[in-house]
Amino acid sequence: MKSILVVDDSLSVARQLEKIINESGEFTCIGHAKNGAEAIKMNHTDNPDIICMDMNMPGMDGLTALRSLVVLDKEVKVVMVTSLGGVGDKFTEALKLGAKNVISKPFEPDNVLQILRQL
Amino acid sequence: MAVKFFGQFLVEKGIVSRDGLLKAIELQEQKNLKLGEMALAMGYVTQKDIDRAHNAQLSKDMKLGDLLVEMGILTIERLGVVIARQKETHLYIGEALVLVGALTSAQLRQYLEEFKADQARYVTDRIELPAGVPNSRIWEMTADLTYKMITRVLDIQFRAEKCRSVASLDANFMMAAMDLSGDVQARYLISVSQGLQKRVARAILREESVENEPTEVLEDTVMEFVNVVCGNVAAKASQMGAIIDINPPVAIHPPATGLPVPEGHTALCFPIHVGEGEKMELILLIRR
Repeated sequence: MKSILVVDDSLSVARQLEKIINESGEFTCIGHAKNGAEAIKMNHTDNPDIICMDMNMPGMDGLTALRSLVVLDKEVKVVMVTSLGGVGDKFTEALKLGAKNVISKPFEPDNVLQILRQL
Repeated sequence: MAVKFFGQFLVEKGIVSRDGLLKAIELQEQKNLKLGEMALAMGYVTQKDIDRAHNAQLSKDMKLGDLLVEMGILTIERLGVVIARQKETHLYIGEALVLVGALTSAQLRQYLEEFKADQARYVTDRIELPAGVPNSRIWEMTADLTYKMITRVLDIQFRAEKCRSVASLDANFMMAAMDLSGDVQARYLISVSQGLQKRVARAILREESVENEPTEVLEDTVMEFVNVVCGNVAAKASQMGAIIDINPPVAIHPPATGLPVPEGHTALCFPIHVGEGEKMELILLIRR
């Protein structure tokens, strides 16, 4: 079963994603980081298969964290989960920086799982 | 379910790969000339003119075209010709995907129709604002998208009252706010009564009951709703040619006397009637 780290400053989004991930039977959520800096630390200590990360967070934002993550860990698989997914420039920037995909909020559980299965 | 652009729609559905989309975007970046590049290619300006205008942009918050006109480098008529040429020669993402072999022409037609049907729910309906509000098209779209998200994300039926300018903000159980910057300067606020906060929480958390949830989580769900709406507003604004940046949302607990409107701002209030005893408002504090 693939392990997933959720990175979002919002407790409610973390709860939503955790529920979708754990109820799928295909993935397991191994933790929740509240910003980019925590995500980098937890990627190092917990070594998740996939990271689902928000863009707009206080402290270190998602795109800054993504930049560091892809340098520090060549194998890292990051999917951005963001309300800004529909902003073309943000979407493109995330892909160029190395994100595997971008999920827009609001999301449907099936859509999240479909994208995670592609990785 | 969200406001999307075509390339994103295709990648999300797994029709086009991430690498295929990146190739198409790269091709667009090569082919689609920026305004200065197009004016240069048409022989209307020199590289030196462009460099001067870019330097002037460091101290003036103006678009390059407007600045070239203001500096007397380009006439307003020629600026119009350059913009028209940019539009005529623009390579759209769908066309670029076909050119890089990520999509066939037949697939392009098919998925473009599917995409239009998917996004039809976010076509902006007309909303009337008081006269003289700057960037009124953006705020009409913002209010409209808020109403659509209340229905689709929160599953709440409501009646929207006509927007009005207000001199102070009414008290309510809580507000969630997000600052918008870029081409607009404003604060987006949603104000909810206690009962409505719980309805928002039930919808966001997808739970039957939220009675045992801590205050922190309940408030977070309203902030997340604001985050979702504002992110989609930024997406829709980008389709309209405007850049809107969003900041992390914050919770506000207004005093019983309400809140004053900050100096230099216009406050627009959109009352949202949900039911007896409950109160919800969308408020836009727009910097004049």
